[in-house]
Amino acid sequence: MIDALAAEWLKLRTLRSTSVVLGVVGVVVALMALLAWYAVHLWEGLPPGQRDRLEVSSLPELANWLASLCLAVLGVLACSGEYGTGMIRTTFTVLPSRGRVLAAKAGVVAVVSFCTGLAAVLATWAAGRLIIGYRPIRGQSAEALSRQMPLFLALSLSIAMFALLGLCLAAITRSAVAAIATLVAVWYVLPIIVNNVPAPWNERIGSILPGALAGQLAGTGNPQSLGGELLSPLAALAVMVAWVAVPYALAAVLLARRDA
Amino acid sequence: MIEVRELTKRFGRTVAVDGLTFHVKPGRVTGFLGPNGAGKSTTMRVVLGLDRPASGEALVSGRRYDRIRHPMREVGALLDAGAVQGGRTPLAHLSWMARANRIGRDRVVSVIEQVGLAGVARKRIAGFSLGMRQRLGIAAALLGDPAVLLLDEPVNGLDPDGVRWIRDLLRGLAAEGRTVLLSSHLMSEMELTADHLVIIGRGRLIADTPMRELTAVRDVLVRSSRAADLAAALSAAGGTVTAEDGGGLSVRGLDPTEIGDLAARHAIPLHEVTPRGASLEETYMRLTAELTGGGADR
Repeated sequence: MIDALAAEWLKLRTLRSTSVVLGVVGVVVALMALLAWYAVHLWEGLPPGQRDRLEVSSLPELANWLASLCLAVLGVLACSGEYGTGMIRTTFTVLPSRGRVLAAKAGVVAVVSFCTGLAAVLATWAAGRLIIGYRPIRGQSAEALSRQMPLFLALSLSIAMFALLGLCLAAITRSAVAAIATLVAVWYVLPIIVNNVPAPWNERIGSILPGALAGQLAGTGNPQSLGGELLSPLAALAVMVAWVAVPYALAAVLLARRDA
Repeated sequence: MIEVRELTKRFGRTVAVDGLTFHVKPGRVTGFLGPNGAGKSTTMRVVLGLDRPASGEALVSGRRYDRIRHPMREVGALLDAGAVQGGRTPLAHLSWMARANRIGRDRVVSVIEQVGLAGVARKRIAGFSLGMRQRLGIAAALLGDPAVLLLDEPVNGLDPDGVRWIRDLLRGLAAEGRTVLLSSHLMSEMELTADHLVIIGRGRLIADTPMRELTAVRDVLVRSSRAADLAAALSAAGGTVTAEDGGGLSVRGLDPTEIGDLAARHAIPLHEVTPRGASLEETYMRLTAELTGGGADR
């Protein structure tokens, strides 16, 4: 298993799309800093009485949302690229245990996406703090890092969940287009549909959608999203695991059964 | 040693391989021939554990491929040289394979040199020609210094130097006692490279035979200024002589030595004595003739 992990790590590292995706995450952090600077500019331009009207989305959460997109794509490409070129056959002749290949890919993608996500969220937080400083702009938490860390960790776990979901969908569909389309459907289309389901089912289903889990896991709720907030942190974690485990199991069974 | 036993593989309703049995023995190059859709690639994929057979089995060194712990150290394979991700360099492409099978890094460098890609080891594969990709695929097959090699159409896209290089390489590997299975559509190339042939058609075995039996001497072409006298002498000595267009004689039943000695005894000048065999291409066409009319299945 160590050999497979090391091999998949080498592969992911030398895949061109990986550096592109990580570069885009860097751009996202830079954009967040720009947004913070712009918010400060707006805030200072307002007369003191009206400054309360200005509200800016939480920058670390915004960064997380954009980074999730990037890393979900990275997860998809870590597998679909091999199907696109036919290299998956080479992979399976080099490592004939398909379960081991999938596990190694998942391990590498999970670690890379969690670390990248955490780095992006923390960098955004730090940049925001440096630029916004003492100014009490609405939407920006002024709490100490130690108080915000649970949310940041939950956000990073959610990034890893999306990346793994992308990887499993790519292994199931064997196509980047189909995997990304499915991912977008689950991520964006499903919440819109669920939001129109009659109460109380809209909130019940909305609570278990992947985009709603990080907030519930951190115990901060989902003030700005369509998602519900009925789950305890532990239940949110369990649902998060299920969003990975079910597609993973399906991918493992299909990989073992299908001809490569 | 590769053992294919009663192998059957279906794709939907199409039978790609139909009860195929053959062995590939070490110490010689075995050519794997058959029309398009005969089941060559499918058979190779089953041997490598990529496709699951409907029945029967394929063993490499007595084991199923997917039971081998570090398969690249025992079996080297080149299926499709195009199946690489272009963003990587040859060094990166071979390094992850080496890592997966616990093969040393020095071995990566040495196979890159062996196949002549040392100058482009750090260039992206995307810019490579088909010939360079074939060389990279062969480097991957050789990486684990395996005792068994399976190569599907390795000379595709290679220039004459490259074709000759592969021929010498494969013959050398077989001479070291390795098992080499090679598929190709190039009959003339196969005739020069392979010692033994396995020919299949529509998923069934047509021939499993040494090359020299397929290309055995058929007759001897003889020319002489006194053709009539020579024909009489050869016939008297037990040969079957047929006159050919252009004044030559086709002689069966006597070998070139007997013909030369006989001509000398009768003081008949000889202008040409050429033993003629059927080319592999002719024999192959004859063997597969009844199959080619039926259209290609997979």
